[in-house]
Amino acid sequence: MLEGLVSPESLSLSYADMSVPERLKWLQQHQQQEVLSLSSNDSPDLLQILQFHGSNNDELLQSTFSHFQMVGSGFGTNYNMGFGHSHEAMDGYISRTSSCQIHSPDTMGVMLKNSEENRAISLKNKRKSEVCLIIVKTREEEKTEKKIKVEAETESNISNKEASSDTSKETSKGASQIQKLDYIHVRARRGEATDRHSLAERARREKISKKMKYLQDLVPGCNTVTGKAGVLDEIINYVQSLQRQVEFLSMKLAVINPELELGVEDLSVKQFQAYFTNFPVVIASKPSVMVDVPLFPLDQQGSLNLSVSNPNQTSIDAPSESWETQSQSLFASVLR
Amino acid sequence: MASADKPINTDVPEKDVFALHFLQSLSNLRRQNTFNSPEKTNDRVKKIKKAAYVSMARAAGGTNRLWSRALLRRAAKENNKIVRFPRRKKRVTCLRRRSNRRDPVEEEEAERLRNLVPGGGGMGTSKLMEETAHYIKCLSMQVKVMQCLVDGLAPK
Repeated sequence: MLEGLVSPESLSLSYADMSVPERLKWLQQHQQQEVLSLSSNDSPDLLQILQFHGSNNDELLQSTFSHFQMVGSGFGTNYNMGFGHSHEAMDGYISRTSSCQIHSPDTMGVMLKNSEENRAISLKNKRKSEVCLIIVKTREEEKTEKKIKVEAETESNISNKEASSDTSKETSKGASQIQKLDYIHVRARRGEATDRHSLAERARREKISKKMKYLQDLVPGCNTVTGKAGVLDEIINYVQSLQRQVEFLSMKLAVINPELELGVEDLSVKQFQAYFTNFPVVIASKPSVMVDVPLFPLDQQGSLNLSVSNPNQTSIDAPSESWETQSQSLFASVLR
Repeated sequence: MASADKPINTDVPEKDVFALHFLQSLSNLRRQNTFNSPEKTNDRVKKIKKAAYVSMARAAGGTNRLWSRALLRRAAKENNKIVRFPRRKKRVTCLRRRSNRRDPVEEEEAERLRNLVPGGGGMGTSKLMEETAHYIKCLSMQVKVMQCLVDGLAPK
């Protein structure tokens, strides 16, 4: 029910007097109460509150209200509770409620999904443009967008100052009560379009750029090139060179093997030695692997295992470059 | 809407796994009678190359990776074998092909990448990047293994 909320009259009186940070603090104080009380579906009272406050922002509230109506009744009422308080600090409030309310089972498909850690991390993010609400962004006015940014920035500042554990605490409390669901908060930058599609588009683009950064770390020599096109070019060249290397090495292998002209038994021994040099670790420490290899006769395995088990221990931790040289030396020693 | 932003998982098994699979396939190849005939080097080369790719796909991803699936399916088709993969939980969506999701600037490059990476045609750009990363790691591992083998087997 609405007992947890402050009555509308006191709201109207105190609200105009409070400044922005005070409002936010007030919102934070009442955060928990609202979480508990927002599960109600008391629409007539909400409508009263709406009409009470929505004098100069009728169309805004109406549009958002209708938007939420179509989204889901439970969720919509929760948001309307938020709107009931004010419209300016609404955004900060909404972001608070949404951070808890998104855990409710009747979720909207509108919110993006994300892990809780990422959400906490995104709140802490230095790039302030990473936290906001998509719901709020259904409004088209830039003026309100500026206000949103300010509100959300101050909110994020406060949350940063008060330690990010607060937000994670709130979210975890919400999560403990209701089924846990993950969402991403994306902030629209100033001057950019605010409709849902472009926000989703931007989120998708950021994901892709993150993955491209990962690829950039992977491919050697990509750091000097900037821009997506150059990095992609480098990646393509690298993949092509790797594939060409595979082809070249397979040609080499094809040439080498029949030239040796070994019989089946010798071949198996030699192959086993090559196998052996490739991963001495396996033979020394993972006996189960040998069971999987039906290729070689067991007595050969046993004998070779015994003879070279000791020198192997040193090469277990070798890095890849010295790995190859050591394997070659081992191979030479075994061949003798 | 964008999906969950899980941390990108591109773990690749150790070199031993790759080596094991490759050597197994090589020995299987050697067991074929026609393999060691000195003529017809090109056929041998092709077979070895295919064996290398297949063993890499099996070692690295098995059926958990899109590119390895596509590789194995392609290889099996050449042998006229029917390959069945266990059903994935998520359905393969055709919705990805909606044009508004593609950025025209990076699309040409993405197209080239799709031609390179097996199975790239059916992936969205974001998924393509993940698969490329994993593919690159596996390829480099396979190259290392083959290099070791060649060095080991080189005539002294």
